[in-house]
This record gives sequence, structure tokens and C-alpha cells, in this order.
Amino acid sequence: MSVLLQQLANGVIQGALIALIALGYTMVYGIIQLINFAHGEVFMVASYGGLATFTLLPDDLKKSPAVALPLMFVGGIVVAVVVAVIMERFAYRPLRNAPRLAPLITALGVSVFLQEAVRVFYPNAKSNLPYPKVFPEGNLTIGSVNISWTGVLLVVLSVGLAIILQTYINRSRMGRAMRATAQDPDTAKLMGVNPDRVIVLTFIIGAVLAGVAGIMFGGYLNNINIDMGFQNGIFAFTAAVLGGVGSIRGAVIGAFIIGLIKTVAGQYMPGGTQYDYVWIFVVLILVLVFRPQGLFGEPERVRA
Amino acid sequence: MSTVDTSAKRSALAPLGKPFAAAGGVLGIVAALLPWVTFSLNDGNWPDKATLQFFDAPFLVTGFRWHVLLLGVLILVAAFAPVPSKGRVVRALGWGLALVSFVNAAYITVKGGGLGAITALDGATAFGAVVGLVAGVLAILAGYGIGIGPVGEWKFKVSTPVAYLVLLVSFGAVLYAVAAMLTTGGVGSANPYAGAIFLSFLGFAAGVLGALSGVGFVRWLSALSEQHRVFSVIVLAACALLLPFTEAGNEYWMTVAANIGIYAATAIGLNIVVGLAGLLDLGYVAFMGIGALVAANFSGAATAHFGITLPFPIAAVIAAVVAGIFGAIVGSPTLRVRGDYLAIVTLAFGEIFTRSAQNDIGGITNGSNAIPGVPALSLFGAEFNKSISIGAVKLPAGVLYYVLIVLLVAATMAVFANLKFSRIGRAWIAIREDEDAARAMGIRTGKMKILAFLIGAMLAGLAGAVFAHKNGTVSYESFKFLESVTLLAAVILGGMGSIPGAVLGAALLFVLPEKLRDFEDYRLMIFGLALILIMRFRPVGLIPDAHRRAEMIERADENAEEAHVEAKKA
Repeated sequence: MSVLLQQLANGVIQGALIALIALGYTMVYGIIQLINFAHGEVFMVASYGGLATFTLLPDDLKKSPAVALPLMFVGGIVVAVVVAVIMERFAYRPLRNAPRLAPLITALGVSVFLQEAVRVFYPNAKSNLPYPKVFPEGNLTIGSVNISWTGVLLVVLSVGLAIILQTYINRSRMGRAMRATAQDPDTAKLMGVNPDRVIVLTFIIGAVLAGVAGIMFGGYLNNINIDMGFQNGIFAFTAAVLGGVGSIRGAVIGAFIIGLIKTVAGQYMPGGTQYDYVWIFVVLILVLVFRPQGLFGEPERVRA
Repeated sequence: MSTVDTSAKRSALAPLGKPFAAAGGVLGIVAALLPWVTFSLNDGNWPDKATLQFFDAPFLVTGFRWHVLLLGVLILVAAFAPVPSKGRVVRALGWGLALVSFVNAAYITVKGGGLGAITALDGATAFGAVVGLVAGVLAILAGYGIGIGPVGEWKFKVSTPVAYLVLLVSFGAVLYAVAAMLTTGGVGSANPYAGAIFLSFLGFAAGVLGALSGVGFVRWLSALSEQHRVFSVIVLAACALLLPFTEAGNEYWMTVAANIGIYAATAIGLNIVVGLAGLLDLGYVAFMGIGALVAANFSGAATAHFGITLPFPIAAVIAAVVAGIFGAIVGSPTLRVRGDYLAIVTLAFGEIFTRSAQNDIGGITNGSNAIPGVPALSLFGAEFNKSISIGAVKLPAGVLYYVLIVLLVAATMAVFANLKFSRIGRAWIAIREDEDAARAMGIRTGKMKILAFLIGAMLAGLAGAVFAHKNGTVSYESFKFLESVTLLAAVILGGMGSIPGAVLGAALLFVLPEKLRDFEDYRLMIFGLALILIMRFRPVGLIPDAHRRAEMIERADENAEEAHVEAKKA
């Protein structure tokens, strides 16, 4: 029983991480119907950006987590946003009216490019890099379940940011513009919405969330590598699809389900953790086949 | 559409077109005669081994100068001769010139010690690269100035013997170009400048090919070969079988060519799924992996799971069938899932395969230890990996594999071509264009889509079986997501739905890493960048399928019209 509870707690933390990435997927897909494969790499790049920021800090600042941690967040987020904006401007925007396959393949290209660029140009990126110990230490113990404070922070950040995002999209003027563009880009344009700005903003929001996730990933698992983007990106995409692409709430709930499947299946299913990955994909396929609109999505409209 | 340039959009460069072209041509010739390096490089004279020795001069004159000179002359000719679609031709040649100059300049700068190496250093001057680059840029601008009109159309018809002759000569030239491309710069890392020489040659080839296609020659030739399809295929196969007798006829290049062939066959299979039926498959290499694993397990290798050793043809058929069954399983979600979501389903299947193979599922993959020692094929006592001699002619080792794989590719091509022009192929294309309309026309879309997956997977499984014996080791590492992406890139780079395209794409994508060992570290990064650039600038691929081409051009015209209307409003 205590094992199950522990795995459930781990699953929630993993889910919180995946949720932060999944929000970026779901928003971009909601607005321009693009599976932005490279979004996972934005998350990875942010993680390295945070690490680089820490490395560049003067020694006395490195010792005070209260200063270093926020700076790392800023550094990681800035890197993520810059990468995402460049990616949107130079890779995706020229293809806005291209056949649908083209942007998807471009996204694959961007993903390979970013991963390799980090591998080649970041010092020692070929092996796992340890993440600085500036995160809250120790565990929160409830009964037999141990949760690291970093994990708690991750869950709090994830849920908090998701709520803020949901409010922003539902309440703000720009959020309304986003929803309008998602529903019908042409009509939105006629109503005075600038689609380019909406799309860039969507990428920026996704990048900020991925940036937070990138830093927290390093803090929670203590080391990072260049493969983290692809794997977690796929998990996040699965979560977005599971929840219903385009739905914020769906992405978060989907992410928690994915996190729980990963840890619980890794514990109890045959094959153990070596196959946890496989179960997620099985769920993905089943969802796509039997409920392609996801748990909270609208059935797909047929586009003319 | 007329062949005259009047319909071309005029730009601010218009009056400068001809003068720029003339200047570009002259400067190109000048660049070829100027020195390029101010000193001898550490790793030997720049470039040590040239493709064509032009003339001996104090400043290390070599092959690329010959290319630069040729491009300069061609630009001059194109500028003043009545060439159809002049703007396109001049622009393409300009790109060739700029690329050749850039590659050489970059290499000299990086390997030779800074910009001094290509400008002035210690009293010596070497402005060849700079002048060449300027000439290239001028010619590109001149192309825009003259106007980028429609590709030239060649209306005249030729009699059958002449057509045969033209095809024979053209394919002969292709064979020569392929042999030259493989051997330029020598084998692997024997020559420190191999990468540069190869890239420089590629720049030259791209420029000339672009010019030929701009003039309309390529389109005319492909129409001609379509018309005499049987003859073309025979000549092409004969040319491929002649490769061992060219400069490329040594063990190293036979191995590389055989590997390219395996991937080309797989790419053609993928082309059925993606190019014809329009179903994006991101886990396709898994089928090749399944085929390879099945063949390896029946091959009598020490770690094979089943105690049975089957002769290769039977094992290959089983491999194809098993892969086909998995293909149908993977394809079955297509009944309910469409578009991007389908791509994700296939990606998920691919990842499940990799994970399972890595963890030695059922004991048949041997996990990360792989299945080594798959025996080489043999026929009538001739081992496929040894060299053979027919009479007095001694052929390099691996030539039998090469022949087998050429036959495999030819067979795959035949399957593809026959399917494409059959009722099934038309159904696939209809599904690709508009699934609902296709269904309304009475096509059983679900059945057809699964069939596409099944046939594509079978071809991949067959290629995988050959792969297992050819490489001797089967490891899950060879069938990961990146390989799927590479195969997809090969299909797209070559041109979706086009057969020569898939072969060309596979050849480029799998020969480049061999050639660019200098860039080992940057290889994948360049690959990613290339994917982005192809999608941006030539989404139809290098050799677009005729039907697909029409579709893309129409769409481009529509967009242009829209833009025009909008501009008027503003």
C-alpha cells in the first residue's frame, strides 16, 4: 500500500512537469493546428539555459539559493522564449499557407537541430550534466510517503501557472483574441485581431511554461541530458491529446493521468520501468483510436 | 503559359540584369585564374587531390577552379545567348558559383588560419575566393533582375531512335556523375579535404542541374523517359550495374552503394504510404527492423532465438510477411484517425518497437547486445562479401551484394510504378487529395489505407532482411526514430510520390555522412537545418512527381493572385 501511495505521489509530480510542457503543445495546436515537435526541445534548451546562467554567476551568488534560483528561472525562460520566437518567425511563419505536412516536417527538423546544437556547442553536453543544488532540500513526509520539497514546488508552480493561464485566456483582451483566432483565423482578422501577434504570443507563453518546467526538471532529477526534450515532449503531447487538444484544463488533467500511468505501470505492469514508456504509448494509441477528440475536446471539425 | 519572360515579375533590379550577369560571368572567370590561398596548408596543398587537374600554377590550381571557370563561362553564355527562362538559368549558375566559392573559402579560412588565408597575408595575395563569391552573388541578383519566369517548355518531339540515344547519353552522364560524386575527394578520411572537395563538387552539380532544369531540359527528359518507360528502366538498371566498373568499383564504395540501395528500397516503400496514400508514417523504420530481426533469427546466427536455419529467400519472404502483418496492425487505426494524429500513432508504434527491441522482448532481439554473426549470403558457393572474378575481370568484394540490392531496388521500383498507375494507386492518390470525396466515389478508403501500410511494410521488411545479412549484425540501434525521420526526409527531399526522387533522396542523405566525416559532430545539426530549409524553399522536392507538381504550382499561383489582390487594396 505504501508503495502504491509513493508511486501515486511520484506520478503527480511527473504529471505536474508534463503539464507545464503540455500547455505549450495544446495552445499552439489550438491556434495553428501545428504539432510543434520542437516544443520538447524548447524545454530542454531552457534547462541548459538555466544551468548556463548558474555557471556564469559569481561564486558568492551561487551559494545563496534565494538569489541563484530566481536568476536561473529568468535565464532559462529568456533562452526558451528567444528560441521559440526565432523558431516561429523563421521556420513556421513562412509555411503558414503550405500543405499541412510541411510544417510538421519542419518541426522535426527544428527538433533535431536544437538537440544537436546543444550537444555540439554546450560544453560537455554529450554526457549527463549535474544540476546545481539550489533547490529546497529535504522531504515532505506524510505517513509513509516521502515527497521532496522540489516536487511540491513543482506541483504548486504547475497548477498555479495553469490556473493563471486559464484566467488570462478567458478574461483578458489578448486571451479573447487567441480564442477568436483558434476558432476562425480569417474572421478574427476581420475583427481587427493581428494573427501574427497572437501566434507569437502563444509561442512565448508556451516557452515560458516550458522554461519553468526545464528548470524544475533539473532540480527534481538533479541532472539533465539532451534526450530529455524528446521524451518528455512526447509524453506532453500524449497528455495534450488525452485531454483534448486545445483545452487547457484537459492538458493538465491529461498530464496527471500520464504521470500516474508512468509510475504505476512501471511499478506493477510486467516488464517494470523498462516498459513504462510503452504503456504511455499504448494509452496514446487507444485514446486516438477510440476518442480522438480527447477527454475534454470537441469532436474534430471537418475543414473545407 | 508562354515560354517568354514577359510574364515574369519585374523587380527594381530589372535594368541591372544583363550587366550584372556579364560582370558575374567575367568575374567568375577571373576568380578561376586568381590565386585562392596565400600559403600551403598544413595538411598538404589545397585541395590535395582534385577531380580534374586544370593547370599547374604557382598557387595550387586544382579541380574546383575548373568548375568556377566553367560556371563563369556558362553565366556569360546564358546572359547573351537566347536561352529560355534566362533568369532562372543565370540564378542557378550564380548559386553554383557562390556555393563553390563559399565552400572553398570557408574551408581555407577554417583550416588555414583566418581570413588572411583568402585575402592577403605576408605579402602574398589570394582574392580568388572573394571574387568568386562576389561573382556568384552578382549572378544571383542578375537572375532576379532578368526575371524569374516559368520554367522553359520544350515542345519539339523526337523520333524513337533519337529519344533512345538521348536517354542513353543522359543516363550515361548520370552514371558518370554518380561515380564522380562517390569518388571525389577519395575514400573517407584518407584525404583531409575530402569533405570540402565533395561539397564544392555538390555546389557545382547543383548549379548545373538547376540551370538544366531552368532551361526545361530536365522536365523534357523526364517526359521522354516516361514515354519510353521500359527502355529507361532497362538502361537505368544497366547503368547501375555498370557502377562497379567505374572509379567507384572498390570494396568501400560497393558497401556504401549497397547501403544506400537498402535505404532507397525502404524509402520507396515509405513513398507508397506517404507519397501516394498521403499517410504520414513516423515509425516506418520499425518495419525494416522487424524484417531484419526475423531474417537474423532464421539465419543460423549463434544468438538466434529459433533453432531453425532457413535459406535466405524463404527467410526473406517470412520477414516481409511478418513486417506486412505488423504494417496492417499499425495501419488499422487509420480507419478512425486522420492526419497529424495518425502520424503520432505511427510514431508511438515506432517507439514501442524500439523499446521492446531494446529490452529483448521474448528473447528474440537480444536487447542491446544485438544479434551478431549473421552469416553472409552465398550463391553457388560464391560468398557475397568476397571479391569475385569473371574470366579476367576481378570485381571488388561486396559487388554481389551490390548487384542483389540493385535488383531489389529495381523490383521495388517496379512494384511502386505498377501500383501507382493501377486502380489501387489511383485510389490512394484520390484518398490523399480528399478522403471524403474518394469515399463518395466508391473507394473503400479504410481497406485501401491499410493496404498501403501493408505493402509499404512488406517492402521495408524485405529490405530489412537483406540489411541483416549485408551488415552481419542486427541491433535495435539501427532502427530508431531518427532513422524514420531520415527516411521520411529522403522521400520528401527527392519528391513525394516520385520514384527517382526516393532513390536520389536516399542516395544524398546516406552518402553525405560518408563524405562529411570531417563534420561528424555537426552532421545531424546540418541535417535538421536542411530539413527546415527544404520545407521552406522546395517543399515539392528535387524531382517532383508530375501530378503533385501541377498541384503545388497551381496552389502557388493562387497564393500569388491573392497577394496581388491584397496589394491592390492596400
